[in-house]
Amino acid sequence: MSHNGGNSTSANDPRQPSAAKPFVSQPVSPQDLPVDYSGFIAVVFGVAGVLFRYKLSSWLAIIFCAQSLANMRNLENDLKQISMAMMFAIMGLVTNYLGPARPGKQS
Amino acid sequence: MNSRSGSKLNFLLLSFFLFFLVTTHLSFVHVLADSHFEGFDAEEEDGVEEETLDPNLLRSPPVTQSQSSIPLDPKSEISSDPDFKEDLNLDTPSKPESDVPKQTATSFEYWDEDEFEGLPVEYPPVEEVPKVAENATPNDPDPETAKKPEKIAASKKSFTVEIVCGSFLIAFIINYFTGKRENENLALSWAAQFATKDSIFEKNFSFLGVGDADDSPLLLKEGQNVFKFYASGRRYCQGLLATMELKSRHDLISRLFNLVVPCRDEISFEVYMNDDAMDQVIFALAKKKLAKGMQKEMNDLQRFASLITPPSVRKWVAEELSVISESKEVAGDLITEAVLEQVFGEKAFEKYGKDFISMHFSDQHPGTHKKMLLFKFALPDVNHMADMTRLVALVPYYIDLVGRYKLSSQARSKTDAARLKAAQEAYKELQSARQEALQKKKAERKKMLDESEAKLSAEAIRKKESKERARQLKKAMPKVKMTRAN
Repeated sequence: MSHNGGNSTSANDPRQPSAAKPFVSQPVSPQDLPVDYSGFIAVVFGVAGVLFRYKLSSWLAIIFCAQSLANMRNLENDLKQISMAMMFAIMGLVTNYLGPARPGKQS
Repeated sequence: MNSRSGSKLNFLLLSFFLFFLVTTHLSFVHVLADSHFEGFDAEEEDGVEEETLDPNLLRSPPVTQSQSSIPLDPKSEISSDPDFKEDLNLDTPSKPESDVPKQTATSFEYWDEDEFEGLPVEYPPVEEVPKVAENATPNDPDPETAKKPEKIAASKKSFTVEIVCGSFLIAFIINYFTGKRENENLALSWAAQFATKDSIFEKNFSFLGVGDADDSPLLLKEGQNVFKFYASGRRYCQGLLATMELKSRHDLISRLFNLVVPCRDEISFEVYMNDDAMDQVIFALAKKKLAKGMQKEMNDLQRFASLITPPSVRKWVAEELSVISESKEVAGDLITEAVLEQVFGEKAFEKYGKDFISMHFSDQHPGTHKKMLLFKFALPDVNHMADMTRLVALVPYYIDLVGRYKLSSQARSKTDAARLKAAQEAYKELQSARQEALQKKKAERKKMLDESEAKLSAEAIRKKESKERARQLKKAMPKVKMTRAN
């Protein structure tokens, strides 16, 4: 098995420089991309944090945004959804901490 | 006069009765101790209105009147003035007053029956009231201090969310950088072992790397855990693409998830065979469970091939592996002695086969390129990259083997028939798809026409209709030919 690739003498050299084709990266259409679950969960938590004034929800939204950012593959496609999720999360944090106190709870 | 004095008496009666209730509410304990009526006043000025029951009015009751007129005098063991005053200085003056109207009816009866005995109904409120009375003086500072520790405790509690989440975020960021570096090191160590100078790929392919120029970078980093390696320039094939999918070490949440659900670092090779190099071969080899799954999932395996039972005649792959192929002959031809000895035989597989996942050759591969060889292996860790040398050596070996392989006539006839059918089906599908597209276009065009017609005004419609009618008439009329006279 090893003899096939071992020799660099012409007889058994499997290489064919003439046949070399350069690498073409295949473009992936946006539909084929795997679903960005963490981004989706970040949006859900962010919205919940804003609506229900729940601190923990906003913090979890930030954490899932961070995960989505970390798993981002190509900059252009994914950045839109991530930035939307980040906006919701930050808005939730701002309303929770700087907004009027939540009735019945200490903010 | 009599009536007036009588009504006044009634008035006094009622007021004293109310006082009695108030004091029994406020200081049942003190009641037993003190039994003087000095601090007792009759409400001569105001009516008995619970809301406006001033402490001022109650401060100086006429002793004489209370003693003489009202039988409930001995009962009205009202506490001394200072206590009384303090009791009424409570923050909640409404409470005893609100109790008073409720209790008037009931306690009146009680009072009739049990003259000097306590009223059991009023006991609980009376009990808590003396306690409150005791706290009357330190009233103001107490609630504040009572509330303060609560506040501090509550505010202390409320910081846990921030602390926990903040520390998780910090840990996440740290883990991102360390995980990223770990993955990069793993990919680089693989490349150093198999793609640099004097390595197996260098000896097999003339052009390595993902760029265009001569010294192009070897690896392409598609994500923090996906790396690609490309090689080209060899006989029988157009190129080879190796994709390394590593564990998401950069993502703390995935890392925690992988503690529960196991995950492996994988590398998959895709070899694009030349059209003239590969004969009609459909073959797959994997561990038993995975092989069954593959046979059900992959279109080409499902349609053309089936699981092969190991033949008893010759040596075969290890027990854990199972073969999928169109015919036993082809399978036997592809599993050569050398391979069995080196990797897939019983003994060899124990030692070298633990990183093997699957192998799949197909000339009907769904996707852009039809003739492909696919290999999937697990990556060993950074320091033991040489363990998978034998597995990687399978790749060029099989490129040559499949490139040179020619089917025998019987095998060819079987495979030909199957492929012809498949080609026909594909063609039919293409036709139906094209027809559907045409029909859709026609329907769309008709809809557009209808819409444009509807847009025309009523006038235009009438005109058109009349034109149509005229045309019909003309058609219906017999054609009379006319010629000139001369």
